[in-house]
Amino acid sequence: MDQSLIFVALLAAPAAGAAISLVPRDGVEVAASLASSAAAVLVSLFLLASGASGAFGLFYSDGLTRIMAITISSVFFTSVAYSWFYVRRINEPLIRFRWYYSLLDLFAFTMLLAVTVNDLGLVWIAIEATTVTSALLVALERQRTSVEAAWRYTLIVSAGLVASLLSVVFVYYSQGTLLISDLTGSSIRAGLLMPIAVGFALVGYGTKAGIAPMHAWLPDAHSEAPSPVSAMFSGILLPTSIYALVRTFNLLQGLASFGAMRNLLIGFGIFTALLAAIIMGHQRNYKRMLAYSSMENMGIILVGFALGGIGIVGAAVQIVAHAFAKSSAFYESGNILVAYESKSMAEVQGVAWRLKYSGHLFALSCLAVTGAPPFGVFVGEFMILTMALSTGNVALVLLLAAVYIYGFIGLNRQSVRMVFGQGSAGQQADGTTPGPAPRAAPQHEHWVSVAIPLANLAVALVIGVYMSPMLLQAAQGMVP
Amino acid sequence: MILPQLLLGELSGLLGILVLLTALYLQSQTFVDPTIRGVAVQSLLLALLFVVLFLGSGDVNLLYLAAITAGIRGLLIPRVMLYQVRRFRHSLRESGPGQRVPSLVIAGVIVVIGGYALFKTALLPTLSNPSASVPFVLVLLSLLLIATRRNALTQMTGFLEEENAVLYAGALIAPSMPLLIEFAVVLDVLGVILVGVILSATRDVLKSLEEPELEQLTG
Repeated sequence: MDQSLIFVALLAAPAAGAAISLVPRDGVEVAASLASSAAAVLVSLFLLASGASGAFGLFYSDGLTRIMAITISSVFFTSVAYSWFYVRRINEPLIRFRWYYSLLDLFAFTMLLAVTVNDLGLVWIAIEATTVTSALLVALERQRTSVEAAWRYTLIVSAGLVASLLSVVFVYYSQGTLLISDLTGSSIRAGLLMPIAVGFALVGYGTKAGIAPMHAWLPDAHSEAPSPVSAMFSGILLPTSIYALVRTFNLLQGLASFGAMRNLLIGFGIFTALLAAIIMGHQRNYKRMLAYSSMENMGIILVGFALGGIGIVGAAVQIVAHAFAKSSAFYESGNILVAYESKSMAEVQGVAWRLKYSGHLFALSCLAVTGAPPFGVFVGEFMILTMALSTGNVALVLLLAAVYIYGFIGLNRQSVRMVFGQGSAGQQADGTTPGPAPRAAPQHEHWVSVAIPLANLAVALVIGVYMSPMLLQAAQGMVP
Repeated sequence: MILPQLLLGELSGLLGILVLLTALYLQSQTFVDPTIRGVAVQSLLLALLFVVLFLGSGDVNLLYLAAITAGIRGLLIPRVMLYQVRRFRHSLRESGPGQRVPSLVIAGVIVVIGGYALFKTALLPTLSNPSASVPFVLVLLSLLLIATRRNALTQMTGFLEEENAVLYAGALIAPSMPLLIEFAVVLDVLGVILVGVILSATRDVLKSLEEPELEQLTG
């Protein structure tokens, strides 16, 4: 069988879903998006099992491609399913729901395109197109803050991505081709332009991946977007941008400038992770807190890719595990938002009593994304730390350890307060110390709103305790 | 060849300088109207420059690029933006740091000098095309414009200027690069979405964007 057909099928599924979703008939958009995302999961599983490597016409595949494809399609599927529960609760949405589902499908299509095409120019176009397809999704709830967040997201990310276009121009000027298969298969011509191209890619794709100090859009967009969209942003959009950055960075393999650029990437990665870990624990808005946690994870993943060796395997494992765990956390944050109608942690207390399942799942998801064993993120972070130890760079090891510990304490202290805290009953009339607020009565939770985050959290757990041979083979195949 | 190469070189150099001057003009404006008109003029000058480059190289890609630049960034997007200005009278003037014109112009000049020095040190030895310093400096100026302005429409002109700069760089350095036209189209689609859809999303949006802070979007 012509293996390029696998890629065509992978892209055709969300494209068809996007087209059919626009049929003006109730329920069609949900059914079409669910079917297309399920088809994308099946095709990407087939791709993962096939172990396809190399160029296939317009497409290119290696371990990273296969891992990204299965991660993107899985989170896409669960986000579509969760949307069925979540978005119908939005009053006066900015766009009609059939447009919402159509854009969600196109958003997934552009991300799948970015990780499968065999051309750095097309990768750039696909990543830019993710902004086009997702801008309106951020503003769906039509609040002033959500429109502002959409504006900041589109403007900052676009301004950054223009810098990565310069990177593409420089790669073409110095190598005469943009085909990934040609660039990775042959020796790269040395010169000053290649490290400069990687520098521009770091600024451009780094902006979209939330790498500090270009991350200004990220907390706003993640906190203001509807929860299923936040899950896609955090779980798969940020890693897709990291993918483009890593593809450009890997071109330097074997060149004299590789070491210097590797250190630059490690520096940006660790700075991002540290900054996010520090800020995370001081948030008042729980969705913003989760957004900073995504930044922390992207910083660590970038360090893993830059370190090489088992660090790359760790980064790949962390991409998959974080996508499942963080999407679970965002879905639960959606459940909390629906129940409490507030994103403020001060107003959301004792969730475990009011939303028994969502509350506990939220606390567990927060543990999972901060690298608590035995979840998959722990395995990824452990591999990256092991690689850092093997380089003998004590400062890096200490900084990574500080990020892990500070991030873990910062996020979980806040989530435990939210889930198990009782808040305060307010100032007493006689001026005495306020007592704890009465526990809220348990509220009915829709089975879909619990089942989807539970399933994602279970996958994040399974990755930690049982490393799938297919996944491991793909991750190990990425090590040069 | 219609015109001698020497004359075409002089013409493209002159147009490059004019494009750079329009960028400094944009830095010096506090009112939104002239900023939009300025970026429209810049795009038209750039389109003319692409035509001159086409006459020199015969690469048809450059002609398409000229048409897209003039049509979308020179005419269509500025027109939509001016419509937005008329619709929201209160957003005619820049607020906050964008009002400090002398400081901004000085900052712009520093960026031009620093950017050129950086280009000469880092890029000129490899690119061997001194003209490419103009788009390089233009990218820095556009980022300065976006960073120092609070008005959404002025930030948008910064984005258009950045787009102009990068396509200018692409046309100078690698005119035969595949997908150059597609890059321009994707960026313009994004520009249209920014001004046409997001800015029109709610009637209050422009006002809200000018407010110094939205309490929920901090931290």
